[in-house]
Order: sequence, then C-alpha cells, then structure tokens
Amino acid sequence: MSLNPEHLAPRDSILARRDARWRLAAFALAIFGTALLRTPGPSAAALCLALLFVWIGRVPGRWYRDRITILLLALIPFLVVAPFTVDRGERLWEWRFLHLTDVGLLFAVTLAMKTVALVTLALTLLSSAPLHVTLAAARKLGVPRLLVQLTLLTYRYVFLLLDELGRLRIALRVRGFRNAMTAHAYRTVGQVTGTLLVRGSDRAEHVAQAMRCRGFDGHFHTLIAFRTRPADVLMFVWIVGVAGGLVAWDLCR
Amino acid sequence: MIDVRELRFAYPDGRQALDGVTIHVTAGESVGLIGPNGAGKTTLFLCLCGVLRAPPGSIRVAGLDPAAMSERKQLPSHVGVVFQNPDDQLFSSTIGEDVAFGPLNLHLPADEVRKRVSEALDRVGMTGQDDRVPFHLSGGEKRRAAIAGVLAMHPEVLLLDEPSMFLDPRGRRELIRLINDLPGTKLIASHDLALVRDTCSRVILMDSGRVVTEGKTEILKDAALMDEHGLEAV
Repeated sequence: MSLNPEHLAPRDSILARRDARWRLAAFALAIFGTALLRTPGPSAAALCLALLFVWIGRVPGRWYRDRITILLLALIPFLVVAPFTVDRGERLWEWRFLHLTDVGLLFAVTLAMKTVALVTLALTLLSSAPLHVTLAAARKLGVPRLLVQLTLLTYRYVFLLLDELGRLRIALRVRGFRNAMTAHAYRTVGQVTGTLLVRGSDRAEHVAQAMRCRGFDGHFHTLIAFRTRPADVLMFVWIVGVAGGLVAWDLCR
Repeated sequence: MIDVRELRFAYPDGRQALDGVTIHVTAGESVGLIGPNGAGKTTLFLCLCGVLRAPPGSIRVAGLDPAAMSERKQLPSHVGVVFQNPDDQLFSSTIGEDVAFGPLNLHLPADEVRKRVSEALDRVGMTGQDDRVPFHLSGGEKRRAAIAGVLAMHPEVLLLDEPSMFLDPRGRRELIRLINDLPGTKLIASHDLALVRDTCSRVILMDSGRVVTEGKTEILKDAALMDEHGLEAV
C-alpha cells in the first residue's frame, strides 16, 4: 500500500466540482469542530457525516479502507488502555488496581469514532483534488507561503528520499547486514540516517539552484484559477452549519 | 553568445574549480564540453547561469554579465539550464505545473503561459501529459519534461549538463534527436562522447579547471588525448 495520495486520480463528484478554497475552508472547520467533540452522540453523528462525505465525494473504497485499517491498528493500544484510565461511572469489572467503568468504555468508543471521523474528513478532502490544487487554495486562504511551499516540496521529495532509503537498505542487506540489537547495527542505522540527511541536504541545494535558474523569486505562481459559485457557498454553509450544530449539541450535553 | 575570459572560481573549502577558463561560443553553435569528473564543467555551468558568483567582467552570456545583480535577474529568460539529475529540476506536483513554473516567474499572462507549456510539451513529445506526476515518469520522460521546463522560457542559450545520464539506449537516441531539433545556442557538458559527436559541431576539452584544447569533433577520435584526460575516444 502506498501513502501517496497522488496515486489517486480525483474522481468527478459533487465535492470535487466545488471551488477548492471553499471546500478546504469548510472541511478545515468541520475537522476543527469534530476535534472539539467530547460525547458519544455528537461523535457518532460526526462519523456518520464523514462517511456521507466519503459517499458523496466518491472516495475509492479500497483506498479509503486501507488507510482507515492502518489508523485503527495504530489506535488499538490507546483504545485498550483508555477504558481503564477513567475513574468516574459504574465499575463494570475490577481486578486489583485495574477497573473498567462504563464512562471509560464510552470514552474509548468516543475517541475511536472521533479519530475515524477526523481522518475520514481529511482523506475525503485529499481525494477530492490533486494536492497542488488544495495547497494553492490554502495559499489563497492566507496559509503562510513558507508553510505551503514546504508542504509542496516535502510531498514531492519525501518519496525520493524513501526510494533512496530503500536502495540503501538493499545495499546493506546484500552485504549481509541484518537488524539486530547490537552496537554494530545501531552504528550502521546511524550512518544510514546520516547519509540520508547529507543526500537530502545535497538535493535541497540542487533543487534551489534549479529553481533560481528558472527565475524563482520566493513566490510559487500558479495557473489554477479559482471561481466562487453559489453552490460553493451553499456547500460551505451546509458543512459549517452541521459541524457547528454538532459542537452545540456536544456542549449542551 | 557565450564569452568567458580568464574565469577563476574557488569553492569556500579552497578547491580551485576553475583556473583561468576562456571559451567563446557564437550564436546558434552547438558545442560539447567534455572532461573527466572534477574537470569543472558543472561549476562553469553554474557560473554561466549566475548560481555561483563569478568575478565581474569574466563572463558574458546573451549579452549579460551574471556578476551584475540587475543583469543576473534577467538571465533566466535568456539562459536555460538542464541539470544532471532531472529529479532536482522537476519539483512541482505535476508536469504541467513544472513546465509553467519558469514562465510564471517571468510574470507572463496566463494564456501565454498555457501556450508555452503546450508548445514545450509538444516539442519534447509529451503532448497532453500535463497532469502526470513526476515520480511516475521513466528516466527518459523525466529528462524530456525537464527540457520542456527550460524550453518554455524561450532561452537563447541552452546549457545541458550530462543530458544522457540515467537514460537507456532508446531514451538516449530520442534525446539526441531532440537536442538536434532544439533551436538556439547549445553548450553540452558530457562524458558521453558519442552523444557529443552526434549533437555538436565543436568540442572543448577541460581538465582540472582548465581548457586543455578545443576543436572540431574529430578530436574525439584522438585516443591518446582522450586517454590522457580520463576519457575514451569514439
């Protein structure tokens, strides 16, 4: 499985047809609102809403499932520990210093739903347009230029560095290196890390030279044209309204 | 078109990369710059395009002195550089964006930029591939995309640094055809003497930061001379 969202050609959908700036603003606010939720009801509603966007946005099922599976695997340690960390509520099970409460269980379920909802919203946003379009929209919305440029260049070059890491690993293996908890192995990993850093620095220098040779003046200009239509505003108002409603519901409980 | 006189350049670590280089390339000429590793070919290119600071008055390219700040700013629209590794040059998310990068920096109108992108991609045989992402391209395609990015600037002078590096024989053949079709003045630095023979009318041999000799491509057949400077005659 690749983490590269650009491997996915954005599909035509109601979401993909919306202006990238309005879409980004709406999803950013929806993600922020979802992150504020603390109770199970609104969190479940947020998850349902996020899944609705997956459907509306025609996010490819397998691409989405692969990423959510990794997320859930990474969440397991937190979900296992979380129910035991809350003292409040009715004790459902007890053993020596360990105790499981209903509030703790609900906390874990809420945590899982919120996290999946957040990542689902982010994946839907990523799959709705090529990354450079989303980043150009971010710039138009006032995200600092440096941050946008760093993200764009990191995204472009992280895969090259991963390729180089892959080649270095092969070079190590064909010379008999195996991972082990020995001083030699740690030293080797340190040297590989150093080599990658040096190569990364060299590449950064070369890229900077290539950019200067083509007249780079510190600003990324783009041909992407943004145009606001009534449907963009409607989508924004709807998403932000629903997200605001969920936050209000959460605060009232 | 390219006039270099007694150019000396030393890196901050004290290494003298160029030691009194003098070359002259006339408009429309295609000249090969050959020499072993460390001869100073890439350093010369970086001085010509103003990335490395050369002493004032030692270089004139397309009528501009890269040492003068005001003239250096005009260089990108006159001098195009294709670097050794196309991955260093293709930094945008899509080929179209990358080819448009230079013209957009020249603050050209959007329609003109689109026209130039389309023309440049046509010229390198990548018509309609604007939306492809750089890491999906083969070595030959990356090279052609990098050349398109430079051609879109409509440079009068084209500097190609080891253009056949990372290419398979088919990619190399296509590149030779492409270079021969390119307009303008070309300076091609390469170890690939067969490529130089097939694309250039004149050759400059460099070693240890100096120009050893220059002449017609016949000197590429001089086995003793090539061997003395770490090259193989073709």
